[in-house]
Amino acid sequence: MMPLNLLKLFYCSSKMKKSNNITPYVMIAPYIIHFLVFITFPVLFSFFLMFNQWNIISPMKFIGLQNFYKLIHDAQFFRSLLNTLIFLVIHIPLQIIVALFFATMLNQKIRFIGFFRAAYFLPVVVSGVVITILWQQLYGYETGLLNRILTGIGISKIGWLTNPNIAMGSIAIMATWKNVGLYIVLFLAGLQTVPHYLYESADLEGASSWQKFRYITLPMINPTMFMVVILSTIGGFSLFIEPYVMTGGGPLNSTLSSVLYIYKEGFFYYHMGYASTLGFFFAGIILLVIFFQKKYVEKETG
Amino acid sequence: MKIYGSIILIMVSCFLLSCGGQDKNDRKHIIYWASNNTDEITFAGKIVSHWNNRNSESKVTFQPVPEGQSSEEVILAAVVGNTTPDIYSNMWQGDAELYARAGKLVPLDTLPGFMEFISARCDSSVIKEVTSIDGHIYQVPWKINPIMLICNDNMFKSIGWQTPPKTYSDFLKAAAEIKQTAYLNGYLNKWIGYSEVIETWWQRLFDFYPLYLAASGGANLIKDNKVVFNNKYAVGTFQFMKTLYDNGYFPRERLSARQDPFLASDIAVRFTGPWEIVHADKFKPPGFEYSFSPLPVPDNSKNAAYTYGDTKNIVMFTTCKNRLAAWDFIKSIVSERGDYQLLQITNQLPRRKDLTTNPLFLDYLNNNPKMRPFAEQSKYVRGPDICPVLKEIFDAISREYEACVIYGKKTPEQAVNDAAKSAEIILLQ
Repeated sequence: MMPLNLLKLFYCSSKMKKSNNITPYVMIAPYIIHFLVFITFPVLFSFFLMFNQWNIISPMKFIGLQNFYKLIHDAQFFRSLLNTLIFLVIHIPLQIIVALFFATMLNQKIRFIGFFRAAYFLPVVVSGVVITILWQQLYGYETGLLNRILTGIGISKIGWLTNPNIAMGSIAIMATWKNVGLYIVLFLAGLQTVPHYLYESADLEGASSWQKFRYITLPMINPTMFMVVILSTIGGFSLFIEPYVMTGGGPLNSTLSSVLYIYKEGFFYYHMGYASTLGFFFAGIILLVIFFQKKYVEKETG
Repeated sequence: MKIYGSIILIMVSCFLLSCGGQDKNDRKHIIYWASNNTDEITFAGKIVSHWNNRNSESKVTFQPVPEGQSSEEVILAAVVGNTTPDIYSNMWQGDAELYARAGKLVPLDTLPGFMEFISARCDSSVIKEVTSIDGHIYQVPWKINPIMLICNDNMFKSIGWQTPPKTYSDFLKAAAEIKQTAYLNGYLNKWIGYSEVIETWWQRLFDFYPLYLAASGGANLIKDNKVVFNNKYAVGTFQFMKTLYDNGYFPRERLSARQDPFLASDIAVRFTGPWEIVHADKFKPPGFEYSFSPLPVPDNSKNAAYTYGDTKNIVMFTTCKNRLAAWDFIKSIVSERGDYQLLQITNQLPRRKDLTTNPLFLDYLNNNPKMRPFAEQSKYVRGPDICPVLKEIFDAISREYEACVIYGKKTPEQAVNDAAKSAEIILLQ
């Protein structure tokens, strides 16, 4: 009897083991197939395209490193990189300051806190195109609300989207307004992890509000800060919808972001090989920036 | 396990099957794609049903071009996937050369009776316009939507103009008069016209290019793969548009995402085509009167005022196995009966030389007087030049247009010269 039971047990457990071995693979198969078809294959194919000239319709032609040669002489691409950098320099600090300010406010015990939290988050879930069109109206030179307010208080009109020196700043302000809700939530979560006894101790020591913020809050939310910086950097590098809808990259290419430029090369002019080269080069720059950011934050936080 | 295995097998099979193209050898019938707007779907449906009732052997299956960001992208995807239809009737003339060079289009002049047919339908200038660089013809000129000025008659009458301005000087004079009446509480709220202030290449098909054609009497931008637009007409067109922006007669801000500025009487004219009639009639406020006028030309111009025709043509893809029957079907689309139906159903003009003389079409024009200026203009339209890198050349022009005309960073001479240099480099590549 005993050997028979053992045999049954062995049979069942081996069947279960075998079944359990297959099941996880079947469960993850849809994602793996999606990953292979829509991510791995395009990345590998793009890498291959970097050494070829291909306009989709005609046969591919191997051109060695010509796409790289074209890239290093492409003033418009470097202009787009500079534009993206300008956007990041305005957008990231602005985003952090505004998000941290509102997160601190929303961390207080005030009335209608739920309403305010929802209201600040609302732009995040509204379509980017809708928001872009709305802000296009606000930024109108003659007819926009912002200029009407400015002229109403005696300040001359600003070419928010028509002045090449200002247009990227205007887009950065709009992007901050759209995304800040997400970062408020992240900071809020970070703020709620700061132990209260630290503030109580600081109160006993007679610390001012600023000192508490500077020496307790900021160090304690450093991990959140790091995440926000990384996410804003990646989000900023992928700037596309706003200039695509609002300005088309103008005026005078001042809002031509790198992603928009790559898109134009690929899907307006079908320079697939060159667009792939630009894409890989740009991805390399993002990786480098994130790497140095990570090193810096790690050093700062010890 | 068996169930899982079967599911995976079915999924992989579906995936592999979806990757393959249609087996064209099995097709007895002809696949026809047309534009997917409602009117053209109705038109194509009627044409196909008429054909199928009379031809039992070569049936035509009609399908609107599948949904996508643009029909151009869908056609491109179909070419890449080898799933092109036999016939496509909405090919932008400027795209055909690219597909022809890649060997994706049938040279129609090799089909029996093609040259006789096209000579009967079109003027020699039109035939020359659609002839490829290799000497073959890959497209049948089908329809046009000439770009003209739609004019707010009330606005012009309010400043004492009974007819819209015809020359640059008159246009600028009228623009200045409109500006004088346009200040409301210190804000400029009216302009003589508006054109989208974006650098995107195709926007120049609706401002710079028609004006250039009007000024030059229909001159090419590119001829025999050489740049020929570095001339006084391009410089004059840049200068004219620059003056409009410099003086605030055209707004630099984008007005596109708000109430239609033309119907709101914020602008007096717009560069547009006959499609505007249905829209204007549907949404115009009470008492709003409008008309169409040719594009303004330089003072003392002796050239015929040409314009851009937004030409769309019919092509046959090399995947077509039943070419003679397909050619017969194309002839039925562009027959007198087919063209009349095109006019009636879609309000788009067939590109044929007897449009203003054939009693059938005259009857339509008498019943639709708003279409008459477009029919008159149809004698003087041009499609885009035959050039496989035309979009890039328009992009080069557009960059210089923006720098010179809209933001005044260059003189018209400098800008046209720089655009020509860029275009030469593009052609060399």
